[in-house]
Amino acid sequence: MSALTGDPGAGAVYDRGYRPYDGPRGRRGAATFALYKASIRRALGLRRSWRQKFAPFVLLGVVTIPAIVNVGIGYVTRDRLADKLEIITYRDYVGVSSALLLFVALVAPDVMCPDRRQRVLPLMFARPLTGIDYVVAKVGAITSILFAFSFLPQVVLFLGNMLVSDSASEYFTGHLDVLWKVPLSVLVLSVYYAVVGVAIAALTNRRIVAGAAVIGLLLITSIASGVLVGDFRPGHGSVAALINVWTLPLYLRDVVFLGNISRESPLGGVANGGLYALALYLVVLFVGAGTLLYRYRWVER
Amino acid sequence: MATSSLLRLDGLTKQYPGVTALDDLTIDVPRGLVGLVGANGAGKTTMFRLLLGISKPTHGRIEVCGIDVGVDPIGVRSRLGYMPEHDCLPLDQTAADVVSTFGELSGLPARAARQRASDILDLVGLDEARFRPISGFSTGMRQRTKLAQALVGDPELVLLDEPTAGLDPLGREEMLRLVARLGTFGISVLMATHLLDDVQQVCDHVVMIDAGRLVVSGGTESLLERTGILTVDVGPRGDELVAHLAQLGVAAVAAEGLVEVTVEGDQQMDVVRDAIADLALPLYRLTTRLTSLDEVFLRLAGSPA
Repeated sequence: MSALTGDPGAGAVYDRGYRPYDGPRGRRGAATFALYKASIRRALGLRRSWRQKFAPFVLLGVVTIPAIVNVGIGYVTRDRLADKLEIITYRDYVGVSSALLLFVALVAPDVMCPDRRQRVLPLMFARPLTGIDYVVAKVGAITSILFAFSFLPQVVLFLGNMLVSDSASEYFTGHLDVLWKVPLSVLVLSVYYAVVGVAIAALTNRRIVAGAAVIGLLLITSIASGVLVGDFRPGHGSVAALINVWTLPLYLRDVVFLGNISRESPLGGVANGGLYALALYLVVLFVGAGTLLYRYRWVER
Repeated sequence: MATSSLLRLDGLTKQYPGVTALDDLTIDVPRGLVGLVGANGAGKTTMFRLLLGISKPTHGRIEVCGIDVGVDPIGVRSRLGYMPEHDCLPLDQTAADVVSTFGELSGLPARAARQRASDILDLVGLDEARFRPISGFSTGMRQRTKLAQALVGDPELVLLDEPTAGLDPLGREEMLRLVARLGTFGISVLMATHLLDDVQQVCDHVVMIDAGRLVVSGGTESLLERTGILTVDVGPRGDELVAHLAQLGVAAVAAEGLVEVTVEGDQQMDVVRDAIADLALPLYRLTTRLTSLDEVFLRLAGSPA
């Protein structure tokens, strides 16, 4: 370290020069995890202005409200009703989380498009990072946020119901299946929405176009599915219900919770409906992952 | 373990459909400050992509800092820093966040990355501005941020692609001073540019390529000496000396009352001395004019290395 100005009375400005780094250094895993963390920060608006934080945390609040309302009603009516009033079930609540696809339409483009539009990718791929690592980090970040935003309200619902029940221990032992069904179905939903959202966002450099494409896809497939299925009686659904990308993972949720497709759903009553749903789910994931890996094949670009 | 060679290219060829971007380059470049010189489209950016291992050569082998890029591209990238020519910074983030994130992407732990980001931004003169969004930065500040992200991982070699592009004269001088300082920190530099003045000012080794072919590779000093021009002042009888040297097979021209003789080695300098003595010319001045790298490039481009 050398002093550039030496007048003791006036203090000194030091040129600290350059200090080499000789500490631990990670490789692909560390770089991927760093990109995963940076993507989560970006999606949640952390280290950004309050406007960037507004949407994610408002959405978290919105999807948590049904749990709070359900627990509140349970508390108020705890001594009045012989049978507990259950406004929303754990299975239904996974369906509420499908509203997070709107969140994906907002956040996935914000996490993906600026890297291409602002040409940051060459800087990233000059690091110990491959195209696969990049895709894993981005999809992993969106999946993690969706999982957290879907799972946390379920935790509020479960703990709340347990606390307002007559016997917390009885409620807990009586609902042990929820402890695996909820995380599994929420994971199925989160991975699906993340892959679809990120894959669509990877196809364009413009956030607005990517967001509109995600919304457009869910609207068009919802409308098409609604028209094709039409009015149906419980147990008389149609296989055309599967083309609705928004609700496809909810059929798998039914399989997780009920062991089959709910008769009330548009796919209810279709023979092997659960298998069809699983197959289409895997096809969508495969196509989405393939699209992403193709877009980020950084060797021979 | 540090090896003495910075770069070893062995028959490096890169072909795209209908275009040969690099053609059979074989060079061994020592550590230090190295200029990669060539006109636009000469193959400089292609070479950077090959060095980073994000593009594969059609033929040949590349070794960077002793590591074969074809065998361990990730290992090579762990030792490199890269500053592209084009805009490449996330504009809505602060310089501190960007540099710190790229430190983590280089494999540094989060805390070390934040500390180094602070140090490096201080080094490049952005300590006061590090918490401001990059969108508000001038071109010079953005170039320094790009350099900072290249340095934050403590690389052995930094690839700089046109680092002075778009800078005003003052910004250019500051950037070149920063690049020159990197050598004193033990960081090697490969600076691609078409501005030969920049290379002459900073680099101690030059690699010139033209249309994908090697023009010359050598120490900056030695290149300037090898192609030196002797300026001779013999008064008004310069034409006589030019004619006599032509008979002796030495190229010379009279210009503005002086004779400029192209010499290659000490032997031809002796010929010039003897010619002046043979003609009994008065010798007022005899100096070696240092040529610029522009002249070296223009002379050698098109002839084999």
